[in-house]
Amino acid sequence: MSTAPTPGFDAATRDEIAASLRELFEKRTGAQDIAPLLAELGWADVLAEDPATAVTLLFTEHGRALASSRALDDVILAELADVLPSDRRRAVIYPHPPEGSVALRCDEPIVGLSLGPLTDIDDAVLAASRPGGSVGLVALPAADVCVSAEPLGGFDFDSGWRIVTAVLAKDVEAVCAGHAWDRAVAAGRRALAAEILGVCDTALDLVSAHAAARVQFGRPIGSFQAVRHRLSEAYVAMAGARSVLDNAYTLAGCDAEVWAALIAKIRAGHAQAVLMRHAVQVFGAIGLTRESDIHRYVERAAALDALLGGHQALTEVVGSAFLDGDEVDAAFEML
Amino acid sequence: MTSSIAAARPELAADVSAYRRAVRGYVGQQPALQRWRNSCYPSTETHMTEHAALMAQLFEGGWNRYGWPVEAGGFGGDERHRAVLYDELSAAGVDVPEQQMLLETLGPAVLRFAPALGAQFLPGYLAGEEWWAQSFSEPEAGSDLAGLRCRARRQGDHYVLSGQKIWTSHGATARRLICLVRTGSLESRHRGLTMVMVDSDTPGVQIRPIAMASGQNELSEVFFDDAEVPASRLLGDEGQGWQVAMFLLQFERAMYAWLSATVAARKLRELRDAVDELPDGGVRRLGQCYTDIATLKARSANTVRRLAAGDTVGPEASVDKILLATVETGLHDAARDLLPGEFLFGEGPLAARWRDDWWYSRASTVMGGSAEVQRGIIADRVLNLPTERTT
Repeated sequence: MSTAPTPGFDAATRDEIAASLRELFEKRTGAQDIAPLLAELGWADVLAEDPATAVTLLFTEHGRALASSRALDDVILAELADVLPSDRRRAVIYPHPPEGSVALRCDEPIVGLSLGPLTDIDDAVLAASRPGGSVGLVALPAADVCVSAEPLGGFDFDSGWRIVTAVLAKDVEAVCAGHAWDRAVAAGRRALAAEILGVCDTALDLVSAHAAARVQFGRPIGSFQAVRHRLSEAYVAMAGARSVLDNAYTLAGCDAEVWAALIAKIRAGHAQAVLMRHAVQVFGAIGLTRESDIHRYVERAAALDALLGGHQALTEVVGSAFLDGDEVDAAFEML
Repeated sequence: MTSSIAAARPELAADVSAYRRAVRGYVGQQPALQRWRNSCYPSTETHMTEHAALMAQLFEGGWNRYGWPVEAGGFGGDERHRAVLYDELSAAGVDVPEQQMLLETLGPAVLRFAPALGAQFLPGYLAGEEWWAQSFSEPEAGSDLAGLRCRARRQGDHYVLSGQKIWTSHGATARRLICLVRTGSLESRHRGLTMVMVDSDTPGVQIRPIAMASGQNELSEVFFDDAEVPASRLLGDEGQGWQVAMFLLQFERAMYAWLSATVAARKLRELRDAVDELPDGGVRRLGQCYTDIATLKARSANTVRRLAAGDTVGPEASVDKILLATVETGLHDAARDLLPGEFLFGEGPLAARWRDDWWYSRASTVMGGSAEVQRGIIADRVLNLPTERTT
């Protein structure tokens, strides 16, 4: 039979899970660890029953709430469980986004990112590109990495991300990552795409409400065609990205999953760029200030877009692969 | 020598994956299909004749009969079978017949609202013996479709048509026209409309091709001068025209979008193979086109599955339509920019084809509901934004 997308959770169950997650993020204080909160919800069972929907809902709500946590680490580490087995508590060190690669260079001191403080972990896992282009996975004892005392500032001063530095010993033990690392990156990109679209969902709600409420020339600005069309375009970009992401989840575990996830991440990044450009304009002057919340969505979406490769850089990657005839069209067949 | 007509294989109608494998095998090894690879046609008329021959070729093997009901000459199966055929033809570098595009727009509405007409004419259509065109727009009713005036009056068991239609794609070569006409008062707007199938050789029907900027005759205008059409040619009842049109638009916005996405993917590969040296930013342009097409495919695949499951696709289909327009304009602009000398001055048939297609790609934001109309639908019916004032 055809491998049509399996139904998984029905719509009512999805809504119920989303509502519980929303409540979880509302109740959560500061950078409180979300693992015990998820355990209270019986998350392990939810995850086991329909992993694609569970992860998508978790990261969508994570994005909607502008939450900051190391939840993404778990998604990535789960894919590495076979090649890097351990019962130690672990975190992931991500390449610093401007480097534009998904692996860190190991021939110089490493500068990477963690998605939170690393006070409660035993090992920091990172992927290092080795001479010749292969990727090796390294689990460094937490004591060997240096984590910045303060979260990273910059455009999104609220991300909670930290700078991590370390020097890899020449004889450091690295496990050949092989395809597992590609799969881990794919899983991370799917989760990030869901999170970006979650940020977008709330931002679109905010800007739609503003367009309906704000009156100029005696009528709501949302009745002007120029404003309506901007928001419609944003919606189209988001809906398209959502379909690409759903497709990427359907292909999880298949050969085409890496290519499908790459494009899902690009399209989510593209959608946030389109939406945020229009949202800031429609909000007018207030949107440029801290009096309105929209700036927080603009900033978070941009930071998430950059993680594991921004949409502009990855579009270049797709273009190069396509030029070389390495595209995977099987990722976009009728299922 | 006459070739035999393939029989239906129920196991393919029942299983889309099995159908895909079978089509892939056929397309990959049938030497006759070479005729429709890298094709360039000097005129729209030749294009349609050649593609009618491709319809006949596909019909002979039974391949374009899957996805259509047995009562209307099909082999059974659903929309996904049709979608798979277009994908496999395009993936193998073979044209998708233009007739299939028109059929995706018109066929489902004929089958739903006039099954007897479907049973009578669809077999010949699938065999490449005839094709149909869509006549909705009028000189005074483009985006404002509900303002159309072309009139049909009941006279015994006939309707008498008088008035004009315009922008009918492939009207000049079509055997039949599916026309949206006014049977009520002009003030009744969309309530006073009726859908009718008109043979193009009916006395009183005159069809004149309109040359596009490229010189190609894709479009036409149609004049009705008291043309008599049997009442049995109605799609649905008198006054039901708007409902038929809305049903039809689901397919126009979803199936047509999927079909066009597969063709765009083939053309992007052809562009890649034609480019010598990429200018700065050229790699990213190709990447952008690729991801735009991938997005359209992911989106419309989902819509096609919904149609196949019998769902009604509402205002959300406008998303597919807008994504399609993005693909069409982006791809052809990329061809123009990445093959600058060739596009502007090339004398060969390939250069001429890119130019023809570039002009036709501009129609993607105009026909079947303009880009502005689509955005308005989303603003009103998906985002629930305040209504736009028309005065």
